[in-house]
Amino acid sequence: MQLTIDKRTVVARKGEYLLEVAQRNSIEIPTLCHHPAVEPWGGCRLCMVEITHPDWKGWTGLVTACLYPVQDGLIVSTNTEKVHQVRAGVLDLLLARCPESSLIQNLAWQYGIEKTSYAPRKAPDLCILCGLCVRICEKIGASAISSIGRGVEKLVSVPYETSVSAACVGCLSCANICPTGAISFSESDHCRTIWSRNFELVRCEECKTVIGTPEQLEHFAQRSGLDRSYFTKCDSCRNREAAARFVRVTF
Amino acid sequence: MAMKQLFVTPNRCTACRNCEVACSFVHTSDPTVLAFPRVRTYVISENTNTVNLCLQCDDAACKKSCPVEALVWNAKTGALEVDLGRCIRCLMCTIACPFGNIHFDKRTNEIAKCDLCQGDPACAKFCPTLALEYAAKPSPDPKPGEVKPLPPIPWMLFTDKQSR
Repeated sequence: MQLTIDKRTVVARKGEYLLEVAQRNSIEIPTLCHHPAVEPWGGCRLCMVEITHPDWKGWTGLVTACLYPVQDGLIVSTNTEKVHQVRAGVLDLLLARCPESSLIQNLAWQYGIEKTSYAPRKAPDLCILCGLCVRICEKIGASAISSIGRGVEKLVSVPYETSVSAACVGCLSCANICPTGAISFSESDHCRTIWSRNFELVRCEECKTVIGTPEQLEHFAQRSGLDRSYFTKCDSCRNREAAARFVRVTF
Repeated sequence: MAMKQLFVTPNRCTACRNCEVACSFVHTSDPTVLAFPRVRTYVISENTNTVNLCLQCDDAACKKSCPVEALVWNAKTGALEVDLGRCIRCLMCTIACPFGNIHFDKRTNEIAKCDLCQGDPACAKFCPTLALEYAAKPSPDPKPGEVKPLPPIPWMLFTDKQSR
């Protein structure tokens, strides 16, 4: 099917969402809570676009591009005055929530906001509650973290905010996917700490490069159905070994 | 026409590492950061060298270990490619590959895996001794005394000029 995004005709398949189609055609729509690896969520409301259709008799609507399924003949505008206003409103609120985040500062500045018009939070952190960490943790199969509380007290944490989560495997996917770098972790020679839990580190049998935590390797081995022995060495050591084996079998 | 494959003939390899350089250049998007080569050259013993690169396994361990299905088959070339938009950099594929042919490139923050250069592998083009060939079947070894003309090396890969 065909639709028009910013006066450009683009092709889409049934079941796709507007944001995917726009991104594939290099049409920029800002977003904070979207990642192709997880299901769209519509949490940040930054990807709002204005839509209309020749059959709609002049009616227009504001929708989140990440959750709106494509439709034949749809006319999408990503940069109208209304869209600008809505996005500016969202960023104004986010800036009040996370005044220290450079990502939010930059986005807000692009929409003409230098200072938030709301009262800033008393003890601000970097979390914008986009839910990417929670969704990726679920996708990986650990489901160690979730959002806790409601309203202004909502936060992402391990169950009951206790100091140790048994389900966490220490894979750092949540920290890596976080758009604002809100999830902190530390790694020393022997220990990785995330969500207040300390993990041992498994090193490559030969070169001693860190390859992960025991829980992480066990989890991914189980999940993929591969033998645990697949997860014992780093890529470089295996590569060298495989080359030697390869020569042995060919000569 | 049979699908072309990348053939490695270790006894022709001189470990000149042209393939590694070509691979790095082709996969570099930012000219200030040279990409990690997907093909590696090894000197095994005094007279034995070889290259090692992705075998594009049918039942690939990297694909199985990926939690977000970021490894997808390219039907045109038969290569297993990394969808970097989907990839969450959990690095499980790099640890799971039994041949160590999938790497994490710290400098570009990307997974480095052979994608057969969309059906035109630069490593094979730059191999001066036909140790790496991209063809339907490998060329036979020359008989004793026979001198085979080498294929022209594409010196000017990045310009439109004729190869020397």
